[in-house]
Amino acid sequence: MGFFLVMKAELVRTFIIMRRYWFSTLMGIFIGYGMLMALIYGFMNSSAEPTDVGEVASEVGTALESRAADNGFAVNATESALGFMLGMFAFGIVGLFTAGLQGMARTGELEQVCLSPHGLVTNFLARSFVASVNSIITWCILLTLISYSVDSQLHLDIVPLVALLFLTYFNLIGFGFMMGGLVLVFKQIGQVAMIIRLAFIGIPLFVSESIYDWDIAANPFLLVVRGILHIVPSADAAICLKMVLVGGSGYSIFAHPSFFWLIVNGFIWTTIGIACFHYLESWSRQKGTLGAY
Amino acid sequence: MSHEYAVELRDIDKVFHTRHFFTRDEDDNRRRIYHKKTVHAVDHVDLAVKPGEVFGLLGRNGAGKTTSVKMMSGLIKPDSGEVFVDGMEVESNRLKILRKVGVVLEGTRTCIWPLTPLENLAYFGNLRDVRGSVLRTRAEGLLEFIGLKDKMNVQVRRLSRGQKQKLAICIALITDPQVILLDEPTTGLDVQSSRSIKDKVTEMARNQGKCAVVTTHDMSVAQELCTRIAIIDAGKVVTCKPTDELLDVFREQRYEFRLDRTPDVAPLKAIPGVNNVEPLNGQEEPGLLVTYPADQELRSAALYSTIQHLSKEGLVLRSVSQLQQTLENVFLQMTSDKKASL
Repeated sequence: MGFFLVMKAELVRTFIIMRRYWFSTLMGIFIGYGMLMALIYGFMNSSAEPTDVGEVASEVGTALESRAADNGFAVNATESALGFMLGMFAFGIVGLFTAGLQGMARTGELEQVCLSPHGLVTNFLARSFVASVNSIITWCILLTLISYSVDSQLHLDIVPLVALLFLTYFNLIGFGFMMGGLVLVFKQIGQVAMIIRLAFIGIPLFVSESIYDWDIAANPFLLVVRGILHIVPSADAAICLKMVLVGGSGYSIFAHPSFFWLIVNGFIWTTIGIACFHYLESWSRQKGTLGAY
Repeated sequence: MSHEYAVELRDIDKVFHTRHFFTRDEDDNRRRIYHKKTVHAVDHVDLAVKPGEVFGLLGRNGAGKTTSVKMMSGLIKPDSGEVFVDGMEVESNRLKILRKVGVVLEGTRTCIWPLTPLENLAYFGNLRDVRGSVLRTRAEGLLEFIGLKDKMNVQVRRLSRGQKQKLAICIALITDPQVILLDEPTTGLDVQSSRSIKDKVTEMARNQGKCAVVTTHDMSVAQELCTRIAIIDAGKVVTCKPTDELLDVFREQRYEFRLDRTPDVAPLKAIPGVNNVEPLNGQEEPGLLVTYPADQELRSAALYSTIQHLSKEGLVLRSVSQLQQTLENVFLQMTSDKKASL
C-alpha cells in the first residue's frame, strides 16, 4: 500500500508541475523533436555538406521528401530515433539515482524522503516509476511525430510493448539502485556514473538484432562483446523494442532470445540493485553521509 | 504517550572519519596525498526528555547538536549506545518511529517550491502515510494554527523565509507526531516570525502534551522557549538543568555597588563570603563589582558586611543592584576553557 500512496503523491506532484510549467513541458517536446530530426538527417545524409543554416533547413526538407518513398530509410530513421530515445530513457532513469540523488542531498530533500516511514527503497521505486511513465509518454509522442515525419509506420502491439517497457524499467532501476546506493555513501561517484550513463545512450542507438548474425567462429572476440551486451540493462531492451515497434514482430518477441535475456537481467539487476541499496543506505547512515554533499 | 520519557539517549557515542586524497591539511596548511581526519561529534551523551517538555540543546558550531537530533530521528546511526523514542529503540524500529517523530532540519529545502503550502502538505502527508479526509482536515488545521491559511494556495517560491519555515514546521507536524525535533528553527527569521514560531512550539507542548527538542545558537530563543536546557560542548554534555535553575546558578552571585569614589579593594576581599571584588573601570560613576557565593545565608551575611565596611570607610553608597544573568553569559561561562563546576 505504501508504494501506491507514494506513487500517487509523486504522480500528483509531477502532474501539477507539468501543468503549472506547461510552456517548459511543451518546449521540451519541441526541442526533442528538432534534435532527433537533426540527428536522423545527420545519420542518413552524411554525404551532404551544407554551408549555412538556410541551406541545412532546405536540404533537410528535400532529403526527407525524396527519401520518404524509400522504406529502408524510414525504417532506419525510426530505429535510430527509437534507439536514441531508449538511450535517453536509460540516461534519465539511471540519472534519477545518481545526479538526481546528488541534487537531493544538496538541497536537503533526500533527508526529508528518508524521514518517510515507507522507507527509501519504496520512495525511490515510486519516484522512478512515475518518472518512467512520464518519460515513456513524452517519448511516445516524439516517436509518433518522427515516425509520421519520415513516413514510417509504427507497430503498436500493446501487450508485447507494455511487457517490454516493464522489463526495461526493471532492468534500469535495478542498475540505478546499485549506482544510487553508491552515491549515498560516496557522493562524488556521480561523476563516474555520468560516463556509464553516456554509454547507455550509445548502446541502444547502435545495437540491433544483427548481433545474433555475427560470425563467432571467425572472430571469437565477438562472443565476449555479445555477452557484455546481454549483461548491459538497455541492450536487449533496445533489440526487442526495435523488433516490435519497427519490425512488427508482435507476440513472436516472447520467443526471442533477447526477451529471455531481458527477463533474466531484470530479475538479477533488480535483486542485486535493491540489496545493494539497502546495504549502502545503512552504511551511509553509519558514516553520516546521507544528507552530506 | 505511554512511556516516562519521550526521547532518551543512553551513552551515545559517534565518531566521524573523513578521508581526503591530494588535499591541504587545514591544521598545518601542508599538502598531503592522503589525509584522514577524525571528529568526535558526540561523546557518551546521556539525555532524557519527558512528554510536554520543550528541551533545548545549546552549543557552538560543531558541538554535536545536529548529530544528536539526527540520531534521534534515525538519520545517523550511533557508534555505540542506544536511542529510544516513546520507549522504542530507534535503530530496530526506525520506520515505526518515523510515524511518531516530526523533524525540521536546519537549512534544508523541506518544501517543494513550485507547489502551494496545501499541495506540499498533501504530498508530504502521503509520503508519511497520512491520507484522505484526515490529511485534508489536518493540513487545513495546521495552516490555520501556524497562520498560513491565507497563503495556502500561493506557490511556496513566493513566500517569505519565515513563511517557508512555518510551512516546514507544518510538514513536520502533518503526522501529528508526539515528538518534534527542531534544528535551529528561528535562524535567519525576523522578530515577528521568530516570536510566532516560539509561541506555536510552546502551545503544542503545553496544550497538546507534545515533546519538543530544540537546538539553537540563539540564547534568547532557548531562554524563552525551553523548560530545560542541555549545554553541549565538543560532543559532551556540560550541564543539563531546568532553564530557571541554570540562570539562578549565576544570577545570585554578582552585585554592582555605585559609590562616590573607588575604595581600596583589599579589605573588602578579606570579608568572609566575598569571592571577588573588582573596581568598575570605564564607567561614568565609580563603583565595585562584588561576587558572592551561591549559598543564600553566606551571601546575605557577606553582603551586609560589605555595606557595613563601606559605611565605616565613609563612602556614600548611591545604589546596589543585582546583575541580571542571561543565558548567553551562562553559556559563555559554561563553554569557556575554565568551565564552572556545577
